Amino acid sequence: MAGAGALELTGVTKRFGPFTAVDALDLVVPSGSFFALLGPSGCGKTTTLRMVAGLEHPTAGTIAIGGSDVTGTRPHRRPVNTVFQSYALFPHLSVAENVGFGLRRTRTPEVERRVREALELVELGHAGDQRPAQLSGGQQQRVALARAVVNRPAVLLLDEPLGALDLKLRRQMQIELRHIQTEVGLTFVHVTHDQEEAMTMADTVAVMNRGRIEQMGPPAELYEHPRTVFVANFLGQSNLAPGVVVEEGGGTLGVDVAGHRVLVPAARAVAARGTVLVGVRPEKVRILVAGQEPGPGENVLGPGRVTDVSFAGVSTQYQVELPGIGTFGVFAQNLLGGATVPLGAPVRLAWAAAHTFALDGRDAAEGTTDLDEAS
Amino acid sequence: MSLLAGLGAGPAGAAGGAAVVPAPRRPTSRAWLWLLLPGLVYLLLLFVVPVVALLATSLYAPVPGGELGQYAPALRVANYADALAAFWPQLTRSFGFALLATLAALLIGYPMAYVIAVRARGRPLLQGLLLVLVVAPFFTSFILRTIAWRQILADDAFVVQALQLLHLLPEGGRLTATPVAVVSGLTYNFLPFMVLPIYASLERLDPRLVEAGADLYASPATTFRTVTLPLSLPGVVAGTLLVFIPASGDYVNSSLLGNSTNTSMVGQVIDARFFRVLDYPTAASLSVVLMLVILVLVGAYVRRAGTEDLL
Ligand SMILES: Nc1ncnc2c1ncn2[C@@H]1O[C@H](COP(=O)(O)OP(=O)(O)OP(=O)(O)O)[C@@H](O)[C@H]1O
Ligand SMILES: [Mg+2]
Repeated sequence: MAGAGALELTGVTKRFGPFTAVDALDLVVPSGSFFALLGPSGCGKTTTLRMVAGLEHPTAGTIAIGGSDVTGTRPHRRPVNTVFQSYALFPHLSVAENVGFGLRRTRTPEVERRVREALELVELGHAGDQRPAQLSGGQQQRVALARAVVNRPAVLLLDEPLGALDLKLRRQMQIELRHIQTEVGLTFVHVTHDQEEAMTMADTVAVMNRGRIEQMGPPAELYEHPRTVFVANFLGQSNLAPGVVVEEGGGTLGVDVAGHRVLVPAARAVAARGTVLVGVRPEKVRILVAGQEPGPGENVLGPGRVTDVSFAGVSTQYQVELPGIGTFGVFAQNLLGGATVPLGAPVRLAWAAAHTFALDGRDAAEGTTDLDEAS
Repeated sequence: MSLLAGLGAGPAGAAGGAAVVPAPRRPTSRAWLWLLLPGLVYLLLLFVVPVVALLATSLYAPVPGGELGQYAPALRVANYADALAAFWPQLTRSFGFALLATLAALLIGYPMAYVIAVRARGRPLLQGLLLVLVVAPFFTSFILRTIAWRQILADDAFVVQALQLLHLLPEGGRLTATPVAVVSGLTYNFLPFMVLPIYASLERLDPRLVEAGADLYASPATTFRTVTLPLSLPGVVAGTLLVFIPASGDYVNSSLLGNSTNTSMVGQVIDARFFRVLDYPTAASLSVVLMLVILVLVGAYVRRAGTEDLL
């Protein structure tokens, strides 16, 4: 794959004094792909983008764009453009002049036509003569987007480019962005802390935490096979329970969770011995009320009690307190209308063993704090 | 009278504005009038009255058979023609020197302001220190500083001797009593007025805009030309006005550092006419001309600079 990457970071580290904002980052973004960098606030996403753009110099490591090393290249000589988190539009120039700024520097022909097209793309064809200060926050954000996209850079860096938009416009711009990306074949590096945005838009998602990439891969794989507690909780929600591996064989692990035997496919386990964290996504879990029995090949926990029922439109979200294990969340599709299990009801929980995953138990100490953060 | 008319126009104008865009809460209190009063009284006593007196004096005629310095109220417009005919070289020289001093102050002051505002950004202690250094000359009197310059530029001081040694100044050449000395003095004395407004403009400049310029393929020089400079223009306009206006009417520098016939400025002439020759009408008409020319030049300049929407 070497050389095929539009963008390659190797061992990139950035320290601000004693504080390490980005820690030995290794990253390959294939040419023409939509790459999302997902992580909580302050995890080093913006710093990573700034190093790619050349606005910050890495403390260690190298950055290559299109196969050539640009670690020491000045920002204006790098074939990248950034949609800044703060927009950074030039207040003394009109919207059209802002968008045409990069084209004029590179002496691209037909500046006016390109600017008009870029503005129409973000639905601001009428605003070309206005000053940025006369536009709303969302409109300014779209100008920032047009100003970067119009240059057709080898790599487009987007730092939360849709943060200021309302939900409808946000969805529309997400589709538009994907459209631009596939149509023009640009490589997008899209920074966001919206996990849904990352999953719906990107070919590859990298989950970042504390300056490191915890896990990287296609959205579905990340969701189905989280490898750390942080990823399990940041990308969607997870029910995690500590247990000990008691048997192994036939591609399956048997784990003892507070006296219950839970089966985990070995392929879905990060650790195969000792203490592990058994996990399952809330939408995979079924509630068994009195009289209901689990099907074959299902893991069962409980009994426990329903401590919270909340209606969320398409689904109902239950919290079930399992003595000695903790609280599990369950999302039930509202196929028959609202909630079917009352508050306080004694229940058991069941899910297909194939949906179980297991994380390294040593992750737990670090993970518990993140659990609250993510929920 | 015009002041009272202006006062009357205030609320009327506000009402007119409110008719176009209905304001939710119309200010009914007249407190602003009382707040304005001290300033108006001050302006009336110390600006309007003297200007009217000056205009009147500029038209006085000598009392026939009277003593030196005796004049009577009249409408002698020829005073202006006489004054201009006699002193136009000093008048044009004043504006020439003031222009040169303004340009020199801009060339010296902009980089100073840039270093303090941009290079020292994020180091408030250093910025404070540098700003104190900029205004430090104001801690001593204007006259004393200019006298110090006379000593620095004196024939037997090291500046002249060094220049002679380097053959940049001919043997026996001097700096005092030359236009160079006067313009240097003007530049030096008014430099802080150039540095401070430019500093204020650059300090407000968002460094992320400069980064955006670099990100959009603009080299540092291009970014300076297309982003930094235009955004600091309000400071440049303010600074050049603050230097040019007082410099064109200055007489301290020309009398202390010039003191010969080919460096005298109009301020010096007004001073001499008024206090030594007791030729009040000529002094007054020259003052009026100076004021009018400055007004016209500044008006044209501000219009040209077109930075009203940035200010
Ligand atoms: N110039 C700087 N000096 C010191 N610390 C910095 C600097 N820039 C960033 N940091 C620190 O580095 C960390 C990462 O910052 P960064 O801006 O990359 O976060 P982020 O992931 O983009 O967060 P957000 O989602 O809030 O934008 C933060 O803790 C921040 O305080
Ligand atoms: Mg950020």
